[in-house]
Amino acid sequence: MTGRTFRGGVHPDDGKAYSRDAAPVAYEPTGELVFPLSQHIGKPAKPVVKPGDAVLVGQLIAEQDGYVSANIHSSASGTVKAIEKRRTLMGNLGECVVIESDGKFNAVEGMGKKTEWRNLGREKILAKIREAGVVGMGGASFPTAVKLEPKDPGAIRYVIANGAECEPFITCDDQLMRTRAGEIVKGLKIMLSLFPNAEGVVLIEDNKPEAIKAMTEAAAMEKKIRVRAAPTKYPQGGEKSIIKVVAGRDTKMSQLPAEAGCIVDNVSTVCAIYEAVCLNTPLIRRAVTVTGPAVKTPGNFIVRVGTAFSELLEAAGGVADGAEIRKAIAGGAMMGIALADLGAPIQKASNALTLFAEDEVEKAQEKLTPCIRCGRCNEVCPMGLTPQMMGAAAERKDYYKYEHRLYGLECVSCGSCTYVCPAKRPLMQLFKDAKGAILAARNAAKQGGGAAK
Amino acid sequence: MSYHVSSSPHVRSPLSTGHVMYDVILALMPATLFGVRMFGVHALLVVLMSVASAVTTEYVFDYIAGRENTLYDGSAVLTGLLLALCIPASVPLYVPYIGSVFAIAVVKGLFGGLGKNFMNPALGGRVFLLLSFGGAMTRYAIDGATSATPLANLESGAAVNVVQMFTGHAGGVLGCSTFALLLGGLYLWVIDAISWRIPVSVLLSFSVFVALFSGGMSLPELCAHLTGGGIVMAAFFMATDPVTSPVTAPGQLLYGWLIGLLSAFFRVFGSSADSVSYAVILANVATPLIDELVIPRPFAYRNNAVEAVPDAGGESKSALRRAAAPLCVLAVSVALLCGVAGVTAGVIEKRRLAEHLAAYRVLLPNAVDFSLPEAANQAAPGFDTSAYGNIVIQEAAAGADAVGAAAGQVVAVRTSDGRDGPITLSVAFLPDGTLNGILYSELNETPGIGMKVGEDAFTGQFAGIPAQTLTLGDGIDAASGATISSAAVVNAVNAAIAFHDAYGGAMN
Repeated sequence: MTGRTFRGGVHPDDGKAYSRDAAPVAYEPTGELVFPLSQHIGKPAKPVVKPGDAVLVGQLIAEQDGYVSANIHSSASGTVKAIEKRRTLMGNLGECVVIESDGKFNAVEGMGKKTEWRNLGREKILAKIREAGVVGMGGASFPTAVKLEPKDPGAIRYVIANGAECEPFITCDDQLMRTRAGEIVKGLKIMLSLFPNAEGVVLIEDNKPEAIKAMTEAAAMEKKIRVRAAPTKYPQGGEKSIIKVVAGRDTKMSQLPAEAGCIVDNVSTVCAIYEAVCLNTPLIRRAVTVTGPAVKTPGNFIVRVGTAFSELLEAAGGVADGAEIRKAIAGGAMMGIALADLGAPIQKASNALTLFAEDEVEKAQEKLTPCIRCGRCNEVCPMGLTPQMMGAAAERKDYYKYEHRLYGLECVSCGSCTYVCPAKRPLMQLFKDAKGAILAARNAAKQGGGAAK
Repeated sequence: MSYHVSSSPHVRSPLSTGHVMYDVILALMPATLFGVRMFGVHALLVVLMSVASAVTTEYVFDYIAGRENTLYDGSAVLTGLLLALCIPASVPLYVPYIGSVFAIAVVKGLFGGLGKNFMNPALGGRVFLLLSFGGAMTRYAIDGATSATPLANLESGAAVNVVQMFTGHAGGVLGCSTFALLLGGLYLWVIDAISWRIPVSVLLSFSVFVALFSGGMSLPELCAHLTGGGIVMAAFFMATDPVTSPVTAPGQLLYGWLIGLLSAFFRVFGSSADSVSYAVILANVATPLIDELVIPRPFAYRNNAVEAVPDAGGESKSALRRAAAPLCVLAVSVALLCGVAGVTAGVIEKRRLAEHLAAYRVLLPNAVDFSLPEAANQAAPGFDTSAYGNIVIQEAAAGADAVGAAAGQVVAVRTSDGRDGPITLSVAFLPDGTLNGILYSELNETPGIGMKVGEDAFTGQFAGIPAQTLTLGDGIDAASGATISSAAVVNAVNAAIAFHDAYGGAMN
């Protein structure tokens, strides 16, 4: 049963064949690891180590600063080499803790020790998740503990483990569900214990039959957990799309999923919750897919956070014979971030490294024409927006219309409009510019107002 | 070395603007091939000339304007083809040439090229040609023989063959095969190149309004209206031109509705057979307004959405309220148009009378003034003539002499039972109850055979005899060698007599 779906959406080539059946391989990095202090939504973490300090695996190196922030732990044992600005995958220079690994991976005491979660109680569970620095690992990297503390836990009807993995090429969640289904179910049970009136839903796109089977079997004995297949359609895994499918409700940008009675977390995050609560292990490793036509042996890897992308590529056999990387993407082809080089470190939310020998965006530039107003972008927008008009308004820098008439800030940046555009208009780029300008103006007004007082 | 960096998404669908255009061109192929088969080599030349002219004009315009060459997007080819399909196949070759130059250079190029034109270039070109070459553009010929278009027949009340109109064998413009056009339209819908909204709303709204404006309509009549006059061409290929149609779903429905309304209005009340072209162009012009009016709200802002935080102070007027003022303007304009139609109805009637007056004067030499009695003329189209064959009473006129006394009456009647085509004739009645002769206004019979009914020897028999049902061979002799045509004429005269018997009294 696949059931209802959300409106709009596109069907790009899913590219999963490159790595879908490659079981995850643990990769241990050598040399230095880099930990950006800002790899979550909210305030950057504050370093609690200084250069020269010896650290162990799982040791706190930067603590959360404020409510919406997250702890960062070392994923290797060794010495703190520096705390300095390094190039992150966002392309800018960000403050990072650099650790020289001793190659031994000695862990702090107590890490990996089993704990029975049922004896812990709500507050302890939340505290453990917060201390472990768990953030949304699907891409948004919102601190998970904050998400799990809505105003009224009793109003939550659905706790959703998002295994849709609608992004083309990425297969790490697929493999995670196939190989660690039991742990995901346990993680989901821990989450459900926080919400008395909620049922658990594992939502998986129907192009992952093995994962659906594995999860269904693992959850067979659980009365409160349902595994649901959804039609393969991008952006099925988007938070708002998944809420629409499970709870049947549309949510605004200003509304948290909790307002629609939902808690949504990626299956990797659910797994990290299990590790944090039951195994006393902070978020220091994650599954990453290295894939794309430019990779020699595409596959899935269990990687320590802080490892450089370039190192991970070597683990996947390097660049394919005769190929040359033209585009490197941290994440998937639809929403990933283009990298200028592979020097940046893997972060908590880095789910993939996708490498292309040919850049479709470059090629599309040759076919660029003026907008022919065909309206395909409007048809595919999962939010019900009018990207054609938003694009025109953004081009004119008519930001008032963009924001108030066209609801341009409701855009979830899924890129469906840009994907489908026959005229090859750079819509996403225009929207990013418009949103940036509007938010900058808003902040300026706020600060100006503050100064006047 | 650094890799190419750009904003997400990093994959793009294979669809390009060129593909979009070539899909439409492919969809037009059945209609084009049918046109060429039906009208011969000249039709092919018209198509080639139109396309070639469109392409060269685009090239030259780009060059002069210093724009990048845009031929690869295929839009010029499409414009040329569309234009060729909506003009008669018999036009001289300079007509499509000039039409395409106008369509590309003036309608499209001058307004900024692809995506910037405010009306459909092909339709703009067609209307330009209609205004410039009225003769060539309205002369429709099959196998070299000129004939009235089915729609013209429909308007004059004659019987039309809907099946022939549907297949395209009834003639008309180059792309006259409704079936072939539907086939192409369906293809576009199946491959998702057009949405159903515009074609369906155009056809639906047209059907409703044409029936409404005509004061009721039988199904065959409605089918004839739908298969003739380019409404299908417009619904699937002209109105759906993305550049000049609204982009939002509700906008497309409103736009289609508007086209249907205007087409029906022009078709029923207008004098030009060309109702659809003008309707689409007017709707094109209204498109930017429609787009502004019906911007859909995001899903989360529509009904059943989670209620929460009020808007950050944006405009929150509903689409309906924003639309209210312009819709009022629209309603007032429609009311005005209807008013004007009412006022001008009298003028139009006088003009029609004047056209027929010459014929009536010949038939009733004593009459100096003619009028069209209302009751009789209203009853005329529906008058039951089935006893006499396929006959329609077209008009009844009453003549008065210099001092205002009744000088006789004329009944115009059209029969489709002629040997080679319809025959229209006027039958004169004198106040003393005798016939005063007949006069043809349309006679397409074959010279030497059916045409003999036009000779004085035959027509002379209809003067000076009592206005009572006539029988061929009994007082009226058939024109030799033209039995079928003679019978048709006698039946037509009998129908006129029957009508005169019923309404003659009410005519003076």
